[in-house]
Formats: sequence, C-alpha cells, structure tokens
Amino acid sequence: MRRPVTSLIVLLLAVGLAATGAAAAPASSLVVQTSTEPPGLDLTASPASAIAAVVFYNIQECLVKVDAHGRLVPWLAERWHTTDNLNYTFFLRRGVRFHNGREMKAADVKFVVERAMNPETKHPHPKHYESISAIVVRDDSTITFVLKNVDAMFLWNLARQGSVIYPREAVGTLKTAPLGTGPFKFAQWMPGDRIVLERNPDYRAKGLPKLDRVTFRFIPDPNGALAALKAGDIDVSTFGLGPEHVTELRKDPRFTAIVGDTTNDVILAMNNSRKPYSDVRVRRALTYAIDRPEILKGAMFGLGRLLGTNVDPLNPYFVDLANAMPYDATKAKKLLAEAGYPNGFDTVLRVAPQYYYTVRTGEIVTNQLAKVGIRVKLEQIEWGQWLARVWKEADYDLTIIGHAEAWDIDNYANPKYYFRYDSPKFQELYRTSLQTLDDKARRELFVRMQHMLVEDAPAVWLYDYPRLLVTKKGVQGFWKDLPIPSVDLSEVSWAK
Amino acid sequence: MRRYVLRRVAAFVATLFAVSLLVFVVVRVLPGDPALLIMGTQGSPEATARLRHAMGLDRPLLVQYVDWLGRALRGDLGVSIQYDLPVSRLIVSRLPVTLPLALLAALFMTLTALPFGLYAATRRGRAGDYLTMIVSQLGIAVPSFWSGLLLILLFSVRLGWVPSGGFEGWSQGLGPALQSLLLPALALGFFQAAVLIRATRSAVLEVLGEDYVRTARAKGLSERRVIGRHTFRNAMIPVLTVTGVQLGQLIAGSIVLESVFALPGLGRLALGAIAARDLPVVQGVTLFMASAIIAINFVVDLAYTFLDPRIRYE
Repeated sequence: MRRPVTSLIVLLLAVGLAATGAAAAPASSLVVQTSTEPPGLDLTASPASAIAAVVFYNIQECLVKVDAHGRLVPWLAERWHTTDNLNYTFFLRRGVRFHNGREMKAADVKFVVERAMNPETKHPHPKHYESISAIVVRDDSTITFVLKNVDAMFLWNLARQGSVIYPREAVGTLKTAPLGTGPFKFAQWMPGDRIVLERNPDYRAKGLPKLDRVTFRFIPDPNGALAALKAGDIDVSTFGLGPEHVTELRKDPRFTAIVGDTTNDVILAMNNSRKPYSDVRVRRALTYAIDRPEILKGAMFGLGRLLGTNVDPLNPYFVDLANAMPYDATKAKKLLAEAGYPNGFDTVLRVAPQYYYTVRTGEIVTNQLAKVGIRVKLEQIEWGQWLARVWKEADYDLTIIGHAEAWDIDNYANPKYYFRYDSPKFQELYRTSLQTLDDKARRELFVRMQHMLVEDAPAVWLYDYPRLLVTKKGVQGFWKDLPIPSVDLSEVSWAK
Repeated sequence: MRRYVLRRVAAFVATLFAVSLLVFVVVRVLPGDPALLIMGTQGSPEATARLRHAMGLDRPLLVQYVDWLGRALRGDLGVSIQYDLPVSRLIVSRLPVTLPLALLAALFMTLTALPFGLYAATRRGRAGDYLTMIVSQLGIAVPSFWSGLLLILLFSVRLGWVPSGGFEGWSQGLGPALQSLLLPALALGFFQAAVLIRATRSAVLEVLGEDYVRTARAKGLSERRVIGRHTFRNAMIPVLTVTGVQLGQLIAGSIVLESVFALPGLGRLALGAIAARDLPVVQGVTLFMASAIIAINFVVDLAYTFLDPRIRYE
C-alpha cells in the first residue's frame, strides 16, 4: 500500500535533485516582473499602462520624449520651430530605421497622427490632436503641423503614449507584434506567461540599449512576485509589490529598492453635485478631518508623498500645498456645524479592491471621519462596477482612486467629470492656461489653479502613489521617478 | 446501456446549452461595460462609445446571443478581445499546462488518499488513525494558495530546487516542465486529498461493519484478503463519487494556483478574461470547463458498472 506514495516521493526528490536551480540568466539579459498582462500591445487602441510598461520607449517612440526628469526633449524629431505658435515645423532625425528595416519618413508621421485624429480608428484620445487643422509633409524629413488655435499642451500631447510613430505598413499587427524605432524589437509573446524583447542592433544611439534581451513575466500575485525575486527567478519587479514588501526588501543586501515619485495622485473624491458635498464647508471639513500623514503611514508604510492639490510633484508647476489645510478635527467639526451638520451625517465610500491601496486608505479614512461625526459605510465594489457606477454615472458620495495621468488638472475644468465640480472661474483659468505659452505667465496660472482647488476643496488629495521598484543588486539605469508611465529600459544594464 | 448513453448525451447537450445561456446572461448583466474596462478612466466617453459599437455590444442581447451560439455550434468561439486570437486556439494553447497540472494533482490526490484512508479505517481509534485525521483536517483547513506559497518558500526560495513559478513549455524538455508543475500540483492535490482521505475512511469503515465482512473473517480469511478483496472494492462506490466531484474541483482550484505560480493555464486565462471583460474568452472557457466537468461525471457514472456489476443502466 505504501509503494505508490513512496514512488511519488522518489519522483519529487528526483525532479528536485535533477534541477539545477534557477537558471542564471546571462549578464546581458534581464527578467522583469509585471503584474498585469497587457491587453494587446497597441498603444493607439488602449490607454492601459500595462501596454506602456512594455512598449513605450522600448519598442516605440514619439517625436518628442518626456525624459527622466519630466522635461520635453527632442526625440525622433531632432528639433522643431514655430514663429507664431500655430505652425510647428518638425525636422526628423535622419537615418532612423523601423524594426522592419525601412527608413522612417515624414509621411509615416502624417499617417500616424491623422489615424489618431480619425474617430473611426478607436484611438482612446482623439481629443489630444483636436487643435491640429492640417499636417503638411515638406520633404521626407520635414513636417509641419498647422494648429487651429494656440495649444499649450500640443507638444506634450505629441509625447504621450498614444502618439508613438510606427511604419504605415505595420498598422495591422500593432496589437500582436508591434514595430517601431525603439531600442528593443518585439520578439515573442507567450500569452499568459511572458513577452520577450530583443536588442535592436540598428538603434541609432551608440552603445544603446545595453541589454541583449528583456523578458517581461506576468506574475499577478504580489507574494508570488516576492518569492520569484527571492528565488532569483526574476531580476526586477516593476509594478506589483506592495509597500510592505519593499520595506522588507530594502533591508536585504541582495536587492536595491527604488522609491520615487509618480504622476499618480491618490484622492478622496467627493460628489460635488450631491448633498452634503455641494456645500464647500462640508468639503473643507472633510479635508481638515483627514490626517494624511497617518494615512500614508498606515496604508503605505510611509512611502509616497503627501499631496495638497491635484498637481503631482513631477510637474514643473507643482506647488507643495500639502500643509495648506492640515489636520484639525476641531475646525472640521466647527465647519460641519456651520453647514448644518452638528451631529455629522451618514455617507457611503465606494472603493475597488482591485487597487489594494484604495481599501487600506478607505479603512483609515472611515475611522478618521468617524471622529468628527461622519459615519462612513465602506463599500467594496468590483472594478468594472466602479467604472460603470462611480466614474461614468457619478453614482457615489465618496470614493478613493489614483489618477495616474500626467497633466490631468483639466479633469477639474470638466463639470461632467465624475467629481461634478463646476466652477466657471476655474474653467476660465484652465482655458487661459491652454492659450498661454509664456512659461512665467503659465506657471502663474497653474499656481492660481492649485490654490483655487485648495480653497474649493472639490476632493481631498491624499498622497502621490510612490514608484516601488526592486531590482537585484547590480542592476542599474532605471529611472527613479515616473513622470510618464513607461519602463524605459534603454539605459538599464548590469554593473560590471 | 445504449439508450442510457444516448440519454446522457442528450442531457449533456441540454446542460451545455443552459450553461451557455447562463454564462452569456451573467457576464452581460454584470455591471461593468467591457468597452469601459478597456478604455479605463483615461479614454474619452466618445472613444468608449465607438469601441462599444465596434465590439457589437450595443446590439440587443438576444441578437448577440443567437449570433454567438450560431458560431459556437459551428465550432467558432469567437476572437479574444485581449489577444486578437481565436478563443478555441487560446484554450488549446493553455491545455498543455492545465491538463498535466490537473492530472498530476489527481494522481497525487488518489495515490495519497486511498492508502491513507484505508490505513486510517483499519486502525480506527488508534494513533495512526488520529494522526491521519489530524493531517487531513489540516489539509482541509489550509487553503491551497497558502500551501502553495509555503511550498514555494521551501523548495524555491530556500532550497532552489524548482522555479518559483512560470512555465516555459514542454519544448524545454520533460524535466523543466515537470519541475514547474510539481509544486502547484502538490498544493492542489494536498487539499483535495485531505477531503478524499476522510471519504475513503468512512466508506471503508461502513463496509467493514457489513455482514459479509464478518462472514469472510469467520471463514478464516486473512485480514489482507478481507480488506483487499471484500472491503476495498465495495467501499469504492462512494469514494468514486467523491473523486468525481473532487476532479471537478481540481479544475476550479487550478484557477487560484495558476495565479500564485504564474502558470499560463486555462484558469489564469479565465481570470484575466473576467478582469478584462474579454467576453468571448470568458464564455468559451466556461463552456469548455463545464463540458469537462460534465464529461468527468459521465465517466464516473459509467465506472460504477465496472465496480458493481449489479448496477445496470437501462
């Protein structure tokens, strides 16, 4: 009777002993863990950050790039000029080749942007190109964009992930095998398991990329990712480890942890069109009632950065207003009494557990608001429901979510956005900022908008979600901060 | 027997039809619009509406169902939104992971459960029985994702014998592929074995109390023969029923373990598809899994006749 069991144990041992352990990857290759498998690889069809993590800056690039410090720098265009802020002429870098060997030409750029502008192509952001009235190809490496009106976001929008340049003839395979001009070529996608990129030997920058091969492995479970890192099966964890794991790994000499800033603002949104949040005193009361340092400590192990308004620390116009309305329960109670709620009120806070931090943060917020008499019912709903009910229909009182896009202050200028914040004064300020190109004047407008948001308190800005990246010791060249959602691997290498 | 099989096949088809309808309706009435999920918070409402139209989701539900069913009957389960590949091809590509995983787990489950269940029953009330029961209780109490993690910590992180997850395919050789599947199969099989040990023990105990066992013993048969010939086979009927249910659960359990071990199997395909509202994949995989479970139960029913010749299907 015991024989089958014995054979199984023998089999287990035999397989175990035959194992050579985790096969050590050659020094010029890197295994990167990411938690979500990209929903296709077409940056022009979906805004998913999981696609950007693999494709953006690695396989495909834009005319203009957002560098590691959040600055706009010339990229596939070596320079541009404009005399009237309405006609922008770009001079493309010569001799840039797509992965299929063909040279990139101005006609490709025209095709790509016109395709993005065409609503039929299902590009997620045709709005980003709304100000363009015509695109004129001057010659193979010169192209002019004619704008209908001055648009301060024009260059930035050309640097976004939806503006990547690809060869006209490869439009049919963008989703499964994207071609571009980037430092890496798409090599293989094993659905459910991994995506492999290989070095582009014809990359224009000498000595780049430094790696021969990059493998993105999809490990959805944070504990699985932690184990894979510790077992040596992966070299880098990009997204997916929680602050508790990073805190632990920071103490381990085998690993290096990078904790930086991102453009992801985690906010407690209030439905400004719904009572009692239509009253600015109530919204301010909530801001005073929330002890943000305690939230950062409790939900994020102290990693991340406190926010006071909706401009992230990587934005050049960022003003640190984290202490503009510091925690003050007495003031909160007073404001509530003035607004007619001396005994507080009942309210519902909806969070989506798909984003673990929303639940953790929500629990602390619930506790803190109880101290000023606001009785919060924390309701966890599935992400699909959150999108349909909270985001699309604005059917909510309170919610917590991270807003990951850079330069997203325009959400507050849109009265139909789920905040339902409708301030004509703010909308006017934002419109003016779009027409203002002078840096000093534009900065001034952004500072005014930020102060106005603090005053009007349409939401409570909690913290900037940290970049949490852990690598094996010896991996170098990753960006510290993420001014744009990309995992730029062009300069990543193993220390010699 | 032939009529019985025909009847069962008819029931099989009817069940699949009900499953298809159920899955179709449930997936669509769930709040959460696939187009919205793809676009997330960053797509404009206009772009989302265009995508919804392109996906055919703005058509009446009945039209969508009839269209899908018609294609499914012709063997076309549609094309995955996420991967842009035929659903049937995706399912087939995931079988080399899930099928061996479930088989290994089933092997582990039966090879552990039957001997230990029998052992416990024959030593009822003694230390060996208690020990087996305690261990099996532990197996039931510990969720498989947790035992999976513990196995990873021991065999991958500490000892470095097997990889912590992932699956590079059978083309890399039998050894590496088995190494990748061993820990998840153990974690999956352990939990299921625990249930089966208890079922085996009580079934054997019941048979041991039967008159014919007393007669066999009175005849002077050796205990080995009493157990091996008269008890074990008769105890197998309820054990087989539980095994059938457990096999179905193995397939369901693989969903969790494939995530923990990052295996590109059918369960993970389903989970990812649900999260991404990749409706053709959710429908296709559910239909496939339902067919597999119904087929297993069918085989179990047929197996009764071999164990007990008195059972006849007319």
